[in-house]
Amino acid sequence: MNEEALLARATEERERIFQRYERGRDNLVGQIDPWEDPEFEDYHKTDRYGFIHDERLPQKTAPQKVNIEVEREKKWVKMLGTWDSPATQEKLHRRIYKGIPNSLRIKIWGKLLDVARLRAAHSGKYREMLTLARRWSTDVRQIDSDVNRQFREHQFYRARYSEKQCSLFHVLCAYAMYNAEVGYCQGMAGLAAVLLLYMDEEDAFWALAALLSNSKYAMHGLYIEGFPKLTRFLEHHDRILTKFMPKLKQHFDKFGLDAILYSLKWFFVCFVERVPFSLCLRVWDIYLLDGERVITAMAYTILKLHKKQIMKLNDMDLIVNYIQVKLHKDFGYPDDVVISALERSMEELKRARLDTPGPPPSKELPQRTLGVFVEPDNKSKIGQRAETFSETEKQARANVILRREKAALELQELRVSQSDTVSEHSGLAGAARCDDSVSALGSRRSLADTSVTSTADLSVFSSGRSHAPDNSLDTHSNVSDGDTGSNGSGICGMSIQRAPSTAHSTPRATPHPHSASPHPSSVSPHPVSVSPLSDDVVRIHVTYNPLAASPSRLHPISPSKRFDEHSKLTLGLFTNGTSSDNRIRIQVPSEDLLTPVVDSGRIITQHYMDKDVYDLK
Amino acid sequence: MAKTYDYLFKLLLIGDSGVGKTSILFRFSEDAFNISFISTIGIDFKIRTIDLDGKKVKLQIWDTAGQERFRTITTAYYRGSMGIMLVYDVTNEKSFENIKNWIRNIEENASADVEKMILGNKCDLDSKRQVSKERGEQLAIEYQIKFVETSAKDSLNVETAFFTLARDIKAKMEKKQEASNPQARSGGHQLKANEQQRKPASWLSRCSLL
Repeated sequence: MNEEALLARATEERERIFQRYERGRDNLVGQIDPWEDPEFEDYHKTDRYGFIHDERLPQKTAPQKVNIEVEREKKWVKMLGTWDSPATQEKLHRRIYKGIPNSLRIKIWGKLLDVARLRAAHSGKYREMLTLARRWSTDVRQIDSDVNRQFREHQFYRARYSEKQCSLFHVLCAYAMYNAEVGYCQGMAGLAAVLLLYMDEEDAFWALAALLSNSKYAMHGLYIEGFPKLTRFLEHHDRILTKFMPKLKQHFDKFGLDAILYSLKWFFVCFVERVPFSLCLRVWDIYLLDGERVITAMAYTILKLHKKQIMKLNDMDLIVNYIQVKLHKDFGYPDDVVISALERSMEELKRARLDTPGPPPSKELPQRTLGVFVEPDNKSKIGQRAETFSETEKQARANVILRREKAALELQELRVSQSDTVSEHSGLAGAARCDDSVSALGSRRSLADTSVTSTADLSVFSSGRSHAPDNSLDTHSNVSDGDTGSNGSGICGMSIQRAPSTAHSTPRATPHPHSASPHPSSVSPHPVSVSPLSDDVVRIHVTYNPLAASPSRLHPISPSKRFDEHSKLTLGLFTNGTSSDNRIRIQVPSEDLLTPVVDSGRIITQHYMDKDVYDLK
Repeated sequence: MAKTYDYLFKLLLIGDSGVGKTSILFRFSEDAFNISFISTIGIDFKIRTIDLDGKKVKLQIWDTAGQERFRTITTAYYRGSMGIMLVYDVTNEKSFENIKNWIRNIEENASADVEKMILGNKCDLDSKRQVSKERGEQLAIEYQIKFVETSAKDSLNVETAFFTLARDIKAKMEKKQEASNPQARSGGHQLKANEQQRKPASWLSRCSLL
């Protein structure tokens, strides 16, 4: 098909989808496929003999609670009348943490998000955007597909092309035009669907606009290309775990569980479909009042409250299932208890200065003026997927990979340091006990990765097997058990000798004879030299500081330099940035695991390396 | 912890948004269809352990968001996958055209010898079909990838697809182990000899300093 035909096809598709939402369910009789509607379970309580079954929900709200809510409503109504008074603002915090009465959420949320003002200030804008979307939107197909999958178990959204489904479609299409940098990103349907439970179409549009571009929430950065805010918040989340729940963090690392797997929806849609809806609303109440630090604190709170249970789960799928599915069905604590815990978490994090990863950098905020129409290019009109990654995308992907591998690396550090304490004579050999064996398929893949990895840092982590706890590793354990029976007179011996320590400056890599120096300016008085003595022996002299504490985070100090296009074995020098701790890392892909490692004349691994990443201290 | 399986294979489902990846996975892992009304944001996975020629094979199947923007997350998970299912929707021409693009994604991000399979899903919706079975087959021949039409809704060919992919991975893996390690139990000397022949270059020439 030529471009013209493809454009025509896209226009036709947009037209068709829009028309259906404009006509609505009542005017689409006989035109909605049965598969588009979930089975209406409310009518499925009659058994085959005709008996109707009573399937009442468990009565969770005690009668006195209902009374409390009625009392609260009265107070809130009064407060609404004097919203801007200092007294109200003072009371607001306490009352919101107690929960906004459901009947008043529509009003309070609107106030907190300043919806009325936005709507009045941009009168006519929503309609304008919707009209533009009808003519130009390139997101219609994706939005349509997601509207069909959003809250289908809710009575508002259950029927295909119901009124609320139509509103949801319109709000998302209009917003995608309003904020062309974001357009539509999966996840936004969840936000808009919650807002639409309480607001009309246009209010929901402005509430969504506030959530994305008001700096208090700044969700814009979550949804733009590369998801920079997600990366930033995940890193912060990791910092919090490392500080407050190191054991849990290690537990996650052990199973190769990156936070992105369990927490994406926490950050993306503010806990929708990850905690029970009643609790989700309570968190939203507070989020709308206090902003993004609530998300950070709630993420921490969830793990804190369930740490004990999670520590008992010894498998990645069990952990993820618990956090994603079990906690959505039944959180295990009453909402009030969770909210008190959340409040305490917020204080705790604030004391530790970890309550927020900082204000959004400007690139996470809208760069273009909102509401100004920009005609999409033909490629996006047709809906072709881009063939190549943009620089931003490459960086974002590198970040995801780095996150996974950092966790793997930290786990290895842990194992090394643990085995140090167990056997001091063979502290180095301890690492070799590491029981991960390597998947044949897995390790070759890692090599392939190196060539596509764009950042120099990454190649350090990824050129060998680096998905340490990554579950594919178990695959061949039975095979490699057999392998290790060989004796150790390997063809590739490697001896690594340590120079005595007089270290008082940061050791750096000296220029290798075969390559230009990665850091020409960084020659230190105590250089590391890698000297080839024969084909199979390399001596590496490193300034060594025996007082160095056990490693924390390791950073490569020089960018990747290759001697050979087909290099298989990698040596790396790492420091923790303060020069107190030096590391040599050896990485060998599993196919080449023929290398006995000898340290100062002592054989470290008896036969050959049984894992392909090895750290020397 | 005692292992309850002999092998663990990591599989990946990719394809345009809405083609039914999650439904296929749900059909396979839970033998049910009703959850098709959830869109995958980012990445998710399910587990099923199958019996393959007397071996217990645990399949860890990764499900991915189809929206283009999420490829920065999802392609990071191509690494480590042993098998990839490329899914398109037979009622959606564009999702079929995009298969080529997805294959390119695999070439750039996954291991070179990853097992692949193309699935044309929703084949129960015959009245809405835009992509004929022949075109699917043609594409599969062009890329030398196995192909099958599936229906997650009617539970058609879903089991077959996963079992075929798993069997291919197992076969490839065993073949490879045999080739690289013909006498595993007799020790490492044999192995070294092979290795030396294959890679005569000196050790250092294969070494790099980071």
